[in-house]
Amino acid sequence: MTNALSIAQLEKSYGAQRVLNGVSFEVPKGAIVGLLGPNGAGKSTLIRSIMGIVEPDAGSIHLEGRPWSREVVRGIGYLPEERGLYKDMRVGDQAVYFARLKGMAKADAVSALRHWFERLEVEGWWDKKVSDISKGMAQKIQFICTVVHDPGLLILDEPLSGFDPINARRIIDEVRALASAGTSILLSTHDMPSVERLCDEVVMLNGGKVVLSGGADALRESGWSGQQEVVFKGNDIAFTNALGTLGHLDSITTEASDGLRRAHLRLRDGVPPGQLLQALGGAVEVNEFLKIRPTMESLFIQAVDQTAAASSAS
Amino acid sequence: MMRGSLIGAVIAREWRTRVVKRSFLIGTLLMPILAVGVLAGTVLITQATDTTNMVLVEDAPGLISRLDPASGQQVPRCPGCFPEREKLTYRFTREAPADSIWLEEGFTVLVEYDGSVLQNRAGYLVYDKSPGTTAKRNIERDLSKAMEHARVLESTELDWQAYQRLKFELNLIDREVNGDMARVDGGGEEVRGLIGFFFSAVLFLVLSVYGGMILRSVVEEKSNRVVEVLIAAVRPEELLLGKVIGMGAVALTQLVAWSVLSTLAFSAFQFVFDTGVLGAPLPGQGEVPTDLLTAMAENELTSILLDINWTLMALSTIGYFIGGYLLYGSIYAAVGGSVQSEQEGQGMVLPIIMPLMFAYIIGSGAMSNPEMGALTWLSWFPLTSPVIMLVRVAVGVAWWEVVLSWMLLMLSARLVLGLAGRAYRFGVLHTGKSSGWSLLLQWIRGHGRS
Repeated sequence: MTNALSIAQLEKSYGAQRVLNGVSFEVPKGAIVGLLGPNGAGKSTLIRSIMGIVEPDAGSIHLEGRPWSREVVRGIGYLPEERGLYKDMRVGDQAVYFARLKGMAKADAVSALRHWFERLEVEGWWDKKVSDISKGMAQKIQFICTVVHDPGLLILDEPLSGFDPINARRIIDEVRALASAGTSILLSTHDMPSVERLCDEVVMLNGGKVVLSGGADALRESGWSGQQEVVFKGNDIAFTNALGTLGHLDSITTEASDGLRRAHLRLRDGVPPGQLLQALGGAVEVNEFLKIRPTMESLFIQAVDQTAAASSAS
Repeated sequence: MMRGSLIGAVIAREWRTRVVKRSFLIGTLLMPILAVGVLAGTVLITQATDTTNMVLVEDAPGLISRLDPASGQQVPRCPGCFPEREKLTYRFTREAPADSIWLEEGFTVLVEYDGSVLQNRAGYLVYDKSPGTTAKRNIERDLSKAMEHARVLESTELDWQAYQRLKFELNLIDREVNGDMARVDGGGEEVRGLIGFFFSAVLFLVLSVYGGMILRSVVEEKSNRVVEVLIAAVRPEELLLGKVIGMGAVALTQLVAWSVLSTLAFSAFQFVFDTGVLGAPLPGQGEVPTDLLTAMAENELTSILLDINWTLMALSTIGYFIGGYLLYGSIYAAVGGSVQSEQEGQGMVLPIIMPLMFAYIIGSGAMSNPEMGALTWLSWFPLTSPVIMLVRVAVGVAWWEVVLSWMLLMLSARLVLGLAGRAYRFGVLHTGKSSGWSLLLQWIRGHGRS
């Protein structure tokens, strides 16, 4: 299947500073790919290269299997991190203006925008000036302007910044709905919970290089180092004896509400969780048995630390 | 969407957001009303003050008047020295009454001198309200001729008729050799130069004001962070072109609206004036013209307006406006892209506008000497030609010079537009600390190419 976006060996330097160093990855059709990286990792330059705002020194970009061109790029829905609206212009007028720049006829633009304004419950703001609306409302308008032309590929750079939790959830739902409808999405963010909730795949950049990439679940699975959480009813000594040499117990605490015990432990290398569950079954009453996989945040920090260590060693 | 449509969308936005605005509508409506108001005021005030002057000449020594036995009145010795003039009548006396009396009798001016006038050539003009420079000049002219007549009569060698025959005044009529080596009517360069300068001053103002608006618009898009979304959809060069054309369209809209509304307001004033709705002449005002054009022609200031070839000047102004606007508008946009705030941009405006100011100053000098050599070169140089060539067009210039100068201007505008587009692209997306001239220098040196 053709990828929505394919990037191969992309290079970009500003003077002596190399910002992108052989970056390669794909955004499969209909997938949500999280683009992660610390500040200065090269995310914005990478996105700007895709959008044709900066010109890469080397490498290739393919969109829907076609080589990069200005016409193809215009079809992308792009929500930059540095974004804003004309303050003295009416909301509806400028939404139509942005839609027209994306190639929509005026009548189609008005019709599609009316639909989106209703959907995000901002229809009453069409005739207001931007200077009269709240920041969160303006963020919603910007999101609408990004998706109104029904793009095949969406590039969202920190789309949740400026939103309260309620509206952030609303936008996450919309992003999910768009992906379900077949839109491919490249999501650049520092908001790790939203990456875990949304992304099918993750690409981590650091120092202009891809330091980690793959399916979000697969990455978290591969980063699992045996952590388990067990909620049980019974004797702590019986629990410890049943654990035996299968793993190392980190802590046991009492649940205040119902007196249940909550244990955190780490399984020995090669011990499958099922073996522990079987061993505990005869000693205590197991209520919950959870595999504690690393968070995206911990994977992110780990990857950044490893890169820093490797570069200082070299 | 075709690229032209994208630029069209940018142009439409720039035009709409500025024209559909209360301040624009008020400014557009107010300007012609003010202009015609000033014209109406000039004509009406001139008429109101341009009263008939009744001049009482106290010819104490009896040099220029004599007693007419039939009427018992003092009459001029040389009636031909006092030609019939509108709004100027003379009476003569050997001894004038007190000021309060001659003023009460309806005289507005008293001229008095004594027997030494032929030697020291001086007398007094007495009035309670100034008769105006034109009336004073005519009184001096008439009395000088009458004195001249008196001196000739004193002479034993000449009589007045012989003197008139001998008297010689050379009148030089302007004949200009044109490009085809044919002689054509010449003269009036100064007036025409003034007309040309008027248009170049308008152009200077429009280029400065609307250039400044482009700069503000670019800075606004940078500061409100709209620019990155725009650049993703439209090439920076196209965005800049759309912005410059859009703002130019606003300027043209205003100029056209001013022209149409001024014509309408002028016609309305003309109708009101010509139908005499403004009322009968004031007491003592004498005969006044009953149509506006005659009234304007009689006024030194307003008569210049009737000498203007409005069509030719309007076409030249529009042609040089387009070229000059593209050239300077592009530079303003590039500067706007390189700065972080409007204040910083204003600080960079002076060096940009310097050639235009220089042209404006030279253009004002060209009014008194419209054919000075430097004007030719400056009217070809693209940075100064929009202002200077208009003065030359008004005075008269070979057609090929205008075409050459305009083509040079348009070529330069195209070149600068391309360069400005790249500088603009570099500037608007630059996120480093440098800005303004240092950023533009960085771009020129090719550092940090985007």
